[in-house]
Amino acid sequence: MDDDELIAAVAGGDDGALRELFSRHAPWLAARLRAVLPAAEVEDALQETFLAVWQGAGGYQWARPGDAAGGWLWGIARRQAALLLRRRGPAAVVLPAVLTPGGQQAGDPAEAALARADLDQAVAALGPAGGPEREVWRLLYLEDRPVAEVAQLLGVPAGTVKSRAHRARRLLRGALRGGPAAGGGKR
Amino acid sequence: MSGTDAGPPDVDLGRVWLGVAAQVWRREPGWAERAAGRLLRSPGLARALVTTPSLLLGWLIATPVVLVAGVLATLGTGTPYVPLLAPAVAAAGIAYAYGPGIDPAWELSRSMAVSDRMVLLVRAVAVFGLNAALGLAASAASGAAAALTFGWLVPMTAVCCLALAAATLARSANIGVAAGMSGWVITVLAGQAAAGRLTAVITDSSLILPYLAFAACCGAVAAYATRIPRGTS
Amino acid sequence: MNVELTDLTRRFGRTTAVSGVTLEVGPGVFGLLGPNGAGKTSLLRMMATVIPPTSGRLRLLGRDPGSYAPRREVRRRLGYLPQSLGYYPGFTVAEFVEYFALLKDMPPGRVPAAVAAAIERVGLGDRPRAKLRTLSGGMLRRAGIAQAIVNEPELLLLDEPTAGLDPEQRVAFRGLLRDFGQRATVIVSTHLVEDVGAACTQVALMEQGRIVFHGTPAELTARGEGSGAAGDAPLERGYSAVLAAARSVTAARA
Repeated sequence: MDDDELIAAVAGGDDGALRELFSRHAPWLAARLRAVLPAAEVEDALQETFLAVWQGAGGYQWARPGDAAGGWLWGIARRQAALLLRRRGPAAVVLPAVLTPGGQQAGDPAEAALARADLDQAVAALGPAGGPEREVWRLLYLEDRPVAEVAQLLGVPAGTVKSRAHRARRLLRGALRGGPAAGGGKR
Repeated sequence: MSGTDAGPPDVDLGRVWLGVAAQVWRREPGWAERAAGRLLRSPGLARALVTTPSLLLGWLIATPVVLVAGVLATLGTGTPYVPLLAPAVAAAGIAYAYGPGIDPAWELSRSMAVSDRMVLLVRAVAVFGLNAALGLAASAASGAAAALTFGWLVPMTAVCCLALAAATLARSANIGVAAGMSGWVITVLAGQAAAGRLTAVITDSSLILPYLAFAACCGAVAAYATRIPRGTS
Repeated sequence: MNVELTDLTRRFGRTTAVSGVTLEVGPGVFGLLGPNGAGKTSLLRMMATVIPPTSGRLRLLGRDPGSYAPRREVRRRLGYLPQSLGYYPGFTVAEFVEYFALLKDMPPGRVPAAVAAAIERVGLGDRPRAKLRTLSGGMLRRAGIAQAIVNEPELLLLDEPTAGLDPEQRVAFRGLLRDFGQRATVIVSTHLVEDVGAACTQVALMEQGRIVFHGTPAELTARGEGSGAAGDAPLERGYSAVLAAARSVTAARA
């Protein structure tokens, strides 16, 4: 059964499907959460996540493209982690809060920590540092250079720069939507 | 858990799943079970009570049906069927509250902290009480005289004790039912032969003490039978 | 010592099922071997407080089960799997395990987690809501083991637990025995000699109601060496040798 069928079964009260969903997805969800939470709280968050899945599977919308199930699961896990972090107070946030461009602290450290974890995962999806998509992304978006300059720096035609940028955007979009294929298991 | 990637090494996914499973698989007791648990001060005893075969839904429906049939028959013919039927129905219910005849896990039940005799006692009392209440309601509804309305409670006690004694001695619920039913039929017919009325055995107040004495003897037999366990393997 | 038996005897009419057994068992896995009819089941039933002894002294978990209150305390800390366990066909696996957890006086708050742990432990986690009437013999046996371990017993008594289990399940079961043997006294009665050798730290052999051997599996194996006794494996040969010796002694007495 694929993920969509499993979630449909869970919505229908099939606890065996929940068990299968757990064995498929808990490992990568745990790894993602571990980047933001200590081990004991990863366990709590995961437990709450799958209990929420058990109760809320009916709310899952099937007609989404790509790895919708993974994204849906990560969304629930994220909310549970944020709840946990807020309950335990700012000291529990493991990673430093992400600074906004203006230099102020982001409003909610919990959300910020999770956003940072998401972003790290997404960037990792672009491939190793120094790779073509990663370089283009760095030069074109982070350093904000024009296409012509990037083409000259990398020693490739402008068209190649544009197509690599296109591919990078696609990869980032997929990764930010979530799911194990989007770099969850890759380190 | 079946093996897949284990996730981060310091996260115990097996423990997480057990926490999820505990909530997903749990059974919530109904209101009757919760009330019984508080009354009896034992959740285990309450659970045993609500799983009594003769308190299950089928039985709870059949008993009033039988009694209502008796009411209707009485209203139709004038013969008071309810007092004649109620003891037999109760005896069957008591017999089916009992163990080895219908309890396949009897040996395990004998090793439980909530003892099997306690379970039997609570079940028998519950079945008896329920039958008495239903019988009284049916009796009143059929417009029988007061002597008939209440008079059958004592014979019913005697017949139930007979059924229980037979069931525990023979370790079979069916034998308990057979003994209870046949004992009651014989008694009623003997009463008719002696005094000319079917209801003689119910309304004759000189029979009360003999009934109760008989019930006490049967109770003692049942207590003795449940003390001696089944024999060789 | 969790189990102390002193000259324990059990008679049924004119038959003596258990005759003058004296035994002390502490934590660990204890194997009870012997042919059918040797008295193993009656001995286990006495330790499970299902039947009282005819004579002799029995102390379980430091208590005398002859009186009501200590017996109830023992039963709360006991896990028992009878040789033939009847099942309530309409119950699900989870209902079955939960029923006996409640009858063992487990606090209701702890029951759901304990039931889940027991069911997963015996490998029935993929079918907790399956009705017992739909299960195979081996699965029913595992459900029986689950109810025995649900209350984390200090004294675990298992009568022929591996009946119907395939070799892979037997390996998993032996792991379960070892885990419980760390803290509790586990007594396993079986006529499958090889089951015993792999998991038990101590072994006793019963024949006609008496204990004819008590020692380690290695000692039992040693008894079989050079004796020419029947058996394909060393432990089996030791078993046969001890039985043969015991029977010749009985024959000589008669």
